[in-house]
Amino acid sequence: MGFFVFGNLLTDPWPWWLGGICIGLLVPLMYYFTNTALGVSTGYGNLARLIFFKTRLKWLHSDAFKNIYNWRFFFIIGIVIGAFISAQLAGMLLVTSDMGRFTQMFAWPFLYQALWFFAGGFLLGLGARTANGCTSGHSIHGLANFHLSSLIATVFFLLFGFLTVHFISFLQAGGM
Amino acid sequence: MSKNLIILIFGIFFGFVLSRVGASNYDMIFSMFTMENLTLAWVILTAIVTAAVGMQVFKLLGHKGYKGIDIKIKKKELTRYTALGGAFFGIGWGMSGACPGTALAQVGEGKFLAVFTILGLIAGTYIYALWLEKSQQ
Repeated sequence: MGFFVFGNLLTDPWPWWLGGICIGLLVPLMYYFTNTALGVSTGYGNLARLIFFKTRLKWLHSDAFKNIYNWRFFFIIGIVIGAFISAQLAGMLLVTSDMGRFTQMFAWPFLYQALWFFAGGFLLGLGARTANGCTSGHSIHGLANFHLSSLIATVFFLLFGFLTVHFISFLQAGGM
Repeated sequence: MSKNLIILIFGIFFGFVLSRVGASNYDMIFSMFTMENLTLAWVILTAIVTAAVGMQVFKLLGHKGYKGIDIKIKKKELTRYTALGGAFFGIGWGMSGACPGTALAQVGEGKFLAVFTILGLIAGTYIYALWLEKSQQ
């Protein structure tokens, strides 16, 4: 890598340290300007309210979701827009069915691929709520504030991520 | 500037950085877990250290923010379900090659399959709310 030459920050991949510093800075910046804790997963409750608009479930009507167009909603929309800008500046396709190694390893019909990612997302959603946070809320915000629950959550995130990816490699070696 | 506008800008910044650094790249996440390429692990570690230093600065400033707003650190409580939730989440992370933040970034990048990750995330969140309701009855 050498000493990072600021080639083109808008189109070239960033070195890990620059990305890490920028993501880390979001934690104090969000507190400083808006007194909010970096975190994404609770915002899926806002989206659940939008999709299941007739729901009467108490948790989806708790204080966090009094107004579903609150800051969490705007944060989520922002992430999509930011990544869209990044991808377009880098000259990526507008829409692609490619998912890297996954779509190379498994030549499955589209329906199976969709179900696989739905199942993965389902476990992410259920898991994040059960553990009360995700990678940003627990592993970055929580660990930076020395929360024990975040340490335990992060250890289990990584351990089961590791086991799952090795299981996928095993499936692939088996010729699925 | 309204709070929501500031947050929208932070969100755009977050999504842009996640995409630029490769955090929304399936292969980068896969190879972090197989330990072939630890770039993302370094990103996360650097982020934690940077955030931790920032939070220590707040201590020195007396937890006061912009225009004197009070900063309240949100504490995440440990429950007997934290580890179980972490395990579910880890499996989902490995399966989808995304976490709740990077799944949104993948959608922004035009990765069509990530739309299903998002739908799954919404369903999982809904089922959590349903489970909570049933378990409290």
